[in-house]
Amino acid sequence: MSTKKSKWTPALIARTAAAWGIALLLFFPLIFMGFTAFKTELQAIAVPSLWAFEPTLENFHVVNERSDYVQFAWNSVVTSVVSTVLGLLIAAPAAYSMAFSPTKGTNGLLLWMLSTKFMPAVGALLPIYVIFQQLGLLDTKTALVIIFTMMNLPIMVWMLYTYFKDIPHEILEAARMDGASVWQEFRHVLLPLGIGGLASTGLLCLVLAWNEAFWALNLGAADAGTLATMMVSYSSPEGLFWAKLSAASLMAIAPIVVIGWFSQKQLVQGLTFGAVK
Amino acid sequence: MSYLELKNVDKYYGDVHAIKGVNLTINKGEFIVFVGPSGCGKSTLLRMIAGLEEINDGDLVLDGNEITHQAPSKRDLAMVFQSYALYPHMTVEENMSFALRIKGEEQSIIDQKVAKAAETLNLTPYLKRTPKELSGGQRQRVAIGRAIVRSPKVFLFDEPLSNLDAALRGQTRVEIAELHRDLNATSIYVTHDQVEAMTLADRVVVLQGGVIEQVGTPMELYEAPANKFVAQFIGQPQMNLLSASYFSGISADAVDVGVRPEHFSIVDAGQGAISGQVELIEALGNETLIHVCLEGSGEKLIVRQYEQPSIKVRDSVSINYDASHLHQFDAKGEAIR
Repeated sequence: MSTKKSKWTPALIARTAAAWGIALLLFFPLIFMGFTAFKTELQAIAVPSLWAFEPTLENFHVVNERSDYVQFAWNSVVTSVVSTVLGLLIAAPAAYSMAFSPTKGTNGLLLWMLSTKFMPAVGALLPIYVIFQQLGLLDTKTALVIIFTMMNLPIMVWMLYTYFKDIPHEILEAARMDGASVWQEFRHVLLPLGIGGLASTGLLCLVLAWNEAFWALNLGAADAGTLATMMVSYSSPEGLFWAKLSAASLMAIAPIVVIGWFSQKQLVQGLTFGAVK
Repeated sequence: MSYLELKNVDKYYGDVHAIKGVNLTINKGEFIVFVGPSGCGKSTLLRMIAGLEEINDGDLVLDGNEITHQAPSKRDLAMVFQSYALYPHMTVEENMSFALRIKGEEQSIIDQKVAKAAETLNLTPYLKRTPKELSGGQRQRVAIGRAIVRSPKVFLFDEPLSNLDAALRGQTRVEIAELHRDLNATSIYVTHDQVEAMTLADRVVVLQGGVIEQVGTPMELYEAPANKFVAQFIGQPQMNLLSASYFSGISADAVDVGVRPEHFSIVDAGQGAISGQVELIEALGNETLIHVCLEGSGEKLIVRQYEQPSIKVRDSVSINYDASHLHQFDAKGEAIR
């Protein structure tokens, strides 16, 4: 059996070290948070930071007792999943028509949709708050679902549009010639060919909705509060509880990190689709 | 008997009038070829018949029914695309049976039809493969198979051979001709290749600028072109066009006279009506093309000759024409009959 000799040239070693260094630097806050979550509050504020300590699960118990984790998590699941599904249902037909029957206005429309993402969210807070107040939707999951859907819609349409554009138009025309109705064309041709795009778009928007904090805090802090709002409640004016904040944060991001970990292939593919082909 | 009829059909893209009031009648079982230069509207016209492009004005009648604004899925036409347009996620078998499956045809009938089409097209060993595992020629045959299994009212071919290499193109052309002979299905075939047009068609439709220039059998187009455009478009090398002054005994209205290369002959010096200097000799084996620059006017012509020529480049030659095969055109370029 022959073994390949790895060539550790100085340049390669330097590059590898630099890559690891940058990766660790980027990952450091997460590592720090992970450690802090298992410290006592006193250990957490110790300077210099302690790296050797006896881990404790106390923070998790306290967080779970003080705030109903399950309730917040459930709110997060409902708002992010429902908004993502709803968003896909609206964005897919929109992207389909823009990709396959573009008009003179299509490009302008796409840019306009994206431009809405340029506005700071706080600029729209007052009118939206008042509208939801009038509708009696404040602090409801419905409000968050609506706002998350609208927030992610431009990205969804854009991503699906680039996906669909890569599907040869003639394949859909062939299906039409074969007698397929619009639904059959979607079900038998567009869906199987575009499933990767739909999956990664959905996944990205799920993550974005899950991590959303601004609207969740302003429109649904109590009953409809998501994990993001639970986290924030631990940075209180009475003083910071680093360990508990870390424990809460860890619990908040855990589900999405797990999902992200297992679907990173789709995510990366989704974000680079069309760029490399 | 008229089977498919286009009545004054128009197509606009914004301000561009792409198809200008086209009238055409196609009979059942006929093989019609649309031919013309790039951008002449031949593919657009085919796609309008298919329903993939909207018809802005005029009527389309198929088998007695008006289908001008009917959805393509309801027209019962099959199309073979230039890019094959196979469903990449389906096997050959699934590709070919797709139309029947969504129509809700019985499985036994589907199997039978697919097997028969696959046998006709020599695709039986490949039924379980996906398109990406096939060669270009095989893919094109699957695309044809997908059309055949449906037994549609009309077959539409949109430059089906242009993605194939020369050898395969010739072979597939023969297969399509045989297929049409066996199935006797009404077919419309778009190409820019006049060899395909001449060999496949019962009737050829020559298009230019969104207008039909002439409709006729291949030999009608070759022997009696309606105008200078058709005269020069059909035939390879193209028909020589010379000013009428070189010819005697022709109509007074004739401005240009067309002569096919084979209707010129090189004769002994001083014996011919036209004289010039040989510029180039192309020996193609079975024939020789002699390019001649005419004295005085500098006009050029090509003489086709089947025997080996004894002349050389830069020789002065005398040329005669076959007076029974002259094509006379008036100032507008229309043929004088």
